[in-house]
Amino acid sequence: MGQWDDNAAPDIEVRQLSVWYNQSAALQDINLKVAAGQILAVIGPSGCGKSTFLRVLNRMIERFSSVRVKGMVRIGPFNVLDEHVDVTRLRRAVGMVFQHPNPFPMTIFDNVAYGPRIFGIRSPTQLRKTVEDSLKLAALWDEVRGKLRRGANTLSGGQQQRLCIARALAVNPRVLLLDEPTASLDPVSAAKIEELIVQLKSQYTMVIVTHNLQQAARISDMVAFFEQGRLVEMGNTQDMFTAPRERRTEEFLTGRFD
Amino acid sequence: MKIDKVMDQVTHMVLALFIVVWGFIAVIIVWGSWRFTRQHGFLSPILSSRWNPLTGHFGLASFILGSLTVTVLAVVIVSPWSLGLSVLGARILQGSWQRYFVRFLTVFVSLPSVLYGWWGLTVIVPGIRRLTGSSGYGVLSASLVVALMILPTFSILSLKAIRQVPESYVEGSVGLGASEDQTLWHIILPTARPRLAQAALIAIARALGETIAVQMVIGGQFGRPGLLHPAATLTTQLLTDLPLLPPGTAGHFVLDYMAFLLMLLMTVIVGLEMRMGE
Repeated sequence: MGQWDDNAAPDIEVRQLSVWYNQSAALQDINLKVAAGQILAVIGPSGCGKSTFLRVLNRMIERFSSVRVKGMVRIGPFNVLDEHVDVTRLRRAVGMVFQHPNPFPMTIFDNVAYGPRIFGIRSPTQLRKTVEDSLKLAALWDEVRGKLRRGANTLSGGQQQRLCIARALAVNPRVLLLDEPTASLDPVSAAKIEELIVQLKSQYTMVIVTHNLQQAARISDMVAFFEQGRLVEMGNTQDMFTAPRERRTEEFLTGRFD
Repeated sequence: MKIDKVMDQVTHMVLALFIVVWGFIAVIIVWGSWRFTRQHGFLSPILSSRWNPLTGHFGLASFILGSLTVTVLAVVIVSPWSLGLSVLGARILQGSWQRYFVRFLTVFVSLPSVLYGWWGLTVIVPGIRRLTGSSGYGVLSASLVVALMILPTFSILSLKAIRQVPESYVEGSVGLGASEDQTLWHIILPTARPRLAQAALIAIARALGETIAVQMVIGGQFGRPGLLHPAATLTTQLLTDLPLLPPGTAGHFVLDYMAFLLMLLMTVIVGLEMRMGE
């Protein structure tokens, strides 16, 4: 199941992953791999377990009480579900961007510098460089240079989301998790974020949860279709959209879905 | 239509009643204070500490100092304690335990202050006496009683302040690899700071206005400064001298002036509190 670029070692590997909230299963027996530098789009109807899947990858899932996770997840060198794994280092390596832009109520500079400061970087020169580099990577630098001391809430929604991406990039992750990053944005801002994601692709492995099928088609290399906690089908994006193997996938992609 | 009109009139009348009653109180206090200050000046009673109303000495300095010391000390004692309880209730306890915790604190909010005074009299005063060799009555005992009394209110308000911090900030911080502790210090508390300050100001107002619980443990004497010596505050002295200076006696208007000073202090606190809320 699933096809990936065999030349690259898989950067994310998920084996027999199941998740329960209380007694009800949210994910059942998920197996998939994502190669380094690729974008995996996770699609499926609401409540299919997409967000749960994303939150397993950086262990944000365990912040909910009464959740049980079984299986194996490997991201780079991290055995994610091992109880001895250093969650702080894992989350540093696996950045996350949320559906609603959530900049902290502080300046633009302090937002981006937050992660590096948490990890003990104090040197102002180094912080300035990291902030500038991250904002450039997130294609926000030109819009905010000279305004870094302004509050992050002075930015537009799309700019705030790019700020959140810059904030995630500032701690130098290898993987980015994007939970419907454009769902709350206007079309122009959303297009900019998409463009940014494509630009970042070669440097980061990304998993994006999206409700927007066109978006998945435009930016991803691989698509995984989830339904009711199961991975129905996964394949490279072109194949999935032109010739899905499963009937359910086809129905979902063509909108003939109950 | 008709019921709307009746309701409209009722609400207007309620408002009018409120303004009349409140205005009546304010006018009496301001008028009495005016009578007092015309004779004794506005500042000199505040700066003097010689108090003997029957011989015409109206120095209020030691009462003002007493009020301020008890209030400041109580808030200093109670702040870290309240902050700890509010973090526990808002961030550490899970699910319905949070609700039980708030309910538990509410029980202590609803205790009448005379019970706190009684507890101070039977526990704190003898305790301080045993520890220090003093009489046990004094500013320190009063501060401890007031601290305990404002603890639940302060904690509940702080807890609500912390709960107001959007979970998305917390997720953003934790998602970057920050620990829960780092998130608390760098995100949650700074974000909640204006509301925490509001909570503190409400606690200060309550401490400043408290009378009976303080009166029961503070000793009622004055003149010797120090935390372990008996003292008096504006509110306790007002209470003590009410029977001594009934309306019509020469010194009666000093009581109005003391009430006026209290109102002034309260107005400053409420003003600060409203500014914090913006």
